[in-house]
Amino acid sequence: MSNLLNAYVSNQPTDRLIKQESETSFAYNNKNKVKPMQAKGELLPSRIIGSPIEYAKDLKKDIISIGKGAKGKANDHELGRINDLAMKIGSLALASYLFIKNPLKLSKSMEFVGFGTFFASMALWPKLAIQAPIKAMTGVDIHQKYVDSQGRKKMLYQDPQYDLTDLYSREDLDKIGKKLDIDENIEDRDSHIKQEAKKKAVQGNTLWMMTAGFATPIMSALACNRLEKPINNVIEKVDLASSEKAMKNGKKSIFSRIKQFVSNKSFEKYLSQNSDKALDSETISQLASKIGDKTESPVVRDSIKQELSSLKNSVKIDETFVKDALGGKVSEEIAAMSPEQKALFDKAVENKSFSQIARILSKARGNLTEKQQRSCAGEYVKTLENAKKRAEQPSISQVKDKINALNKNITDYVSDKKLLDRCVDTRVGNKSGTYIANQWGRVSNKLIKSLKLNNQELKAVSGGDMSIIYDKLSKISADDAQFDKIVNDLMKLIGDYEQKTGSEFVSATQSYSSEISTKAANSLKSNGFTKLAEKITAAGKKSTVENVKNIDTKGKIQGAQSSFYRLMQTLDLSKRMKNGNFESQLKSVMQNNGIEIKDETVKKLTQVCKDVLHDATIFDYTEKLTSSKYNLSTNEYKTVMNVLFGESAGSEIKESIKRTMGADKADDILSGFRSYTKAFKEKVANWKNDMTPELERRVTDGITDGKDAVERNNLSGKQIKSWFQQEAKNTYNSRKWLKIFGGAMAALAAATLITDVIISKKHKAANEAETEKKVKNG
Amino acid sequence: MVYKLGVQNQNINSINTLSFGKKDKVKDEDIKWVNDAHLLCEEKKKHPITTAVKIQTDKLTKSVTEYPKKGFKGSKNANFYEFLSMGMVPYLIGSGTMMAVFNLASKFFDTPAAVNASKLGKKMGIGVVLYGLGKTLSKKLIETPVNLKYGIDVNLPYDKKNNELPDDDNKDDLVSHEYHKAYESVDFPRWDQFYDNEFYGPDRNSYYVKVGKKMGINDVDLEYADQKVKPKILDKVVKTKLFSTLSSYLWAATGVGIAMQKPWENFVVNPVKRVKNCKNHIKTAKIAKEQGRNIAKYDNFAKDFGKKFVESTKQFVKNDSKSASIAGRVLLGSAIGMTLLGNFSTLFDFNNKGAKAQASTSLIDESKEKVVC
Repeated sequence: MSNLLNAYVSNQPTDRLIKQESETSFAYNNKNKVKPMQAKGELLPSRIIGSPIEYAKDLKKDIISIGKGAKGKANDHELGRINDLAMKIGSLALASYLFIKNPLKLSKSMEFVGFGTFFASMALWPKLAIQAPIKAMTGVDIHQKYVDSQGRKKMLYQDPQYDLTDLYSREDLDKIGKKLDIDENIEDRDSHIKQEAKKKAVQGNTLWMMTAGFATPIMSALACNRLEKPINNVIEKVDLASSEKAMKNGKKSIFSRIKQFVSNKSFEKYLSQNSDKALDSETISQLASKIGDKTESPVVRDSIKQELSSLKNSVKIDETFVKDALGGKVSEEIAAMSPEQKALFDKAVENKSFSQIARILSKARGNLTEKQQRSCAGEYVKTLENAKKRAEQPSISQVKDKINALNKNITDYVSDKKLLDRCVDTRVGNKSGTYIANQWGRVSNKLIKSLKLNNQELKAVSGGDMSIIYDKLSKISADDAQFDKIVNDLMKLIGDYEQKTGSEFVSATQSYSSEISTKAANSLKSNGFTKLAEKITAAGKKSTVENVKNIDTKGKIQGAQSSFYRLMQTLDLSKRMKNGNFESQLKSVMQNNGIEIKDETVKKLTQVCKDVLHDATIFDYTEKLTSSKYNLSTNEYKTVMNVLFGESAGSEIKESIKRTMGADKADDILSGFRSYTKAFKEKVANWKNDMTPELERRVTDGITDGKDAVERNNLSGKQIKSWFQQEAKNTYNSRKWLKIFGGAMAALAAATLITDVIISKKHKAANEAETEKKVKNG
Repeated sequence: MVYKLGVQNQNINSINTLSFGKKDKVKDEDIKWVNDAHLLCEEKKKHPITTAVKIQTDKLTKSVTEYPKKGFKGSKNANFYEFLSMGMVPYLIGSGTMMAVFNLASKFFDTPAAVNASKLGKKMGIGVVLYGLGKTLSKKLIETPVNLKYGIDVNLPYDKKNNELPDDDNKDDLVSHEYHKAYESVDFPRWDQFYDNEFYGPDRNSYYVKVGKKMGINDVDLEYADQKVKPKILDKVVKTKLFSTLSSYLWAATGVGIAMQKPWENFVVNPVKRVKNCKNHIKTAKIAKEQGRNIAKYDNFAKDFGKKFVESTKQFVKNDSKSASIAGRVLLGSAIGMTLLGNFSTLFDFNNKGAKAQASTSLIDESKEKVVC
């Protein structure tokens, strides 16, 4: 221990002040009366989670401490607390930055979740893994807090050399003594209890320091991992509900309204600053770009420019206009005209014909040759036209109200349209975190979960070994209960998907689209911008889900839907094969198509059916199925397509739905599936046509006929093999990570708890030693 | 056993030596110990880096060996210094664990997943490094100007001898060394270490006179410079600590923000891979030379790190996302602002102007409540 007494003596100031001090100080003059202040420290109740009011009070104190620190007056305790506060402020600043940086809502939210879980882990680990177990076993709260005479909250056992165990009440000490199993007849029992309690605290705190580095990041990461899915679900629900509500009510968010207000004000300011500018082509381009950049539609942007160009002053073409435009001696020449000439001139002015006016005036000059007259007339025409152009061209201030109105109409329209974009984006946007992406994830997860694959199997599947999957599917198909469960779960997810992306959603977006364009068109018409109003009305009519935000949302919806149905078909085929229905159906179709029923052919077509569902792409339907690999005849091809997409398609799924959801609902639930198989037969399988001409048509036309190719591709859906492979990879990676760090966390928790037990048991040895000592001393 | 402070001290002093490289041979009596402590001002001036490294090494080594051993035994000699020193352990292990959380599992992934995981993993790893660098180095931006202007080194270390109580394991070697800082406590700064310290001059008050002069105290006051200067030093120390703490976490956050930028995705951390890349580059350069072409030199780790750091910093304040650019600028600006505020507050004296700047004639302020801790 340091010799604090010596330190104190050395710390005394130089003599002069000591002398002054001794003569003047309050302490010196009242030396007989001065007593130490009464200690007012007390223990605080222990809680795993502190009360928010206490946190708020502490925060207030910390903020005051910063103020004191800025004046150079803070003490050690305050500076220590400021450090903790600064760490949180820094982390919060970082989380806020990353929140803004990340484009996705889930990533944004996870930044704050990460911040919260990190600090929560930092606080909870010592409480749950060390403090609570040791307290339960020994009665000693190693993180017991106390408040000192100055109201500062500290840990009782923070400094083992600073003994504060006097703060324990009689009851507390007895309780700890009993838990520690300290002999009640021992000499100076209280000291012994206090010493043991202090020892536990030192041990517990050491354990805390040695484990916190491992525990905090892992606990935080595990918590984030577990919280990601529920948070994503909450975000999705809130997003879907709010975007739909906003679209229905047409109610814009406060931020959107502020943005709109600021944008309009800034435009008005721009107009005021440039009010003297003439509305020439350069200014029109600038204004058109300022107004038009808000919209993504090039048609609307062009129309805005046209509307701005059409803002002209009306010019009166009369004799004064001609005189003003041509100036010079023209007035004299007009005055000197003969009555006939003047009548002709007046007629030309009335006709507003610059060429006639120019000809008459050039002739009126008299002393010009014919050639000179023509040249002069040409000059006059140019001058008059330029003068007219100048007179027609208004300054911004003259048409300020009109331009402002145009800008406001477009801002309103764009802002309204953003609600629609948001609604579409939330559901089927081309990014992760949208409903469509989440639902895809849910179906995939459900699938992998239902197959109950272990890590080795997952690794094999992710490496391309699909036999495991087909075996699993076969086993599931053998058990009605398991089959029904997976079908039921998947159909619910698919049903939800159909409902949220189906016709109701499409018509709602369409109706809102035409509503906002009508509203914008009416406003524009009332301000005289009829051409632009027409364009916007036309755009509104076209603005279905297909072309909102210029993404192929309809294709996306169809693609995911086809994949889901293809998956259901795979399950259906597996069940049909398992219960033997498939073979009888195949043979029946073969018979109808005039194919001789041979075992070899049945086997071949069965394999083709499996391969088609598991692995076929759009190109396989057009080329590979008829190529040397399978060498199918037209009738065989038709047979395969009929078995897979004909009447018998989905028969086992239907039975399953009947069993779990009721017979009356089956057709209704499977209506989407039926439409899919019908469309597939017609557009992809092309089973009605002869193969050869169709193949030729597709090879030649397929490339140029993009729309048809995209639609067929969407209908074919994702290959089951690659889907399973990808999902197995994701699940394997996720499980591997969880296994490593979940395992590490479990091992750490176990080791910590064992150490807690060892720490908590040691007191017995001390007790025994004391007893031994007593025995020795007789 | 009756433990007599001071008496025991004399004998122990002659047993222990100060451990500083070749100077280890210097005997204890050659070093001036004041109240069991020795200010390392000379060592720090002569060997600033070595001294800092040795102190940190000593603390770290003991934090993972001696102190946990004492702690797990519940030693009666365990103290707050040891507890605080062990606080380094969770920081270091935590940093490593944080890196591992984002990097360790990726080696089991297939190539595309591993590449994606590695991108994030690298950023997180660099984030941990830049967090530490930002937090540590930024403090110097406030501490160094204070030291230069006033001669107050808030990090000035001293070696402290602790005379321990005998326990089961240790009955002979009853002295432990701790490395503290003279100003680590603003409630109990080690003023005693500056009195009669020959490093600062021949007089008892040399240090205080020196600081006092730098603070612009008049000659009359210099007679009792210690009393005059101590409150002022404390004022500077508190402000320095406050602003260096506040700014350090903002710099740390800025560091992580910079680490989250795209350029780091291509940064090769793995030393084996770097050596391999370097060898390949040499081969390519050789072929290029034969063909009469010149190709750029292979960037070593430091150069590559520097380049990526500059690119990332640029991207942090200006990138495709307007909002992220603004947020980056605000974060960087707040860190710079806090450092400037710290410098402004510590280097200019606002609290002690006019009458307040006069020498105090009383040791105790009667108007205030006294606290005995």
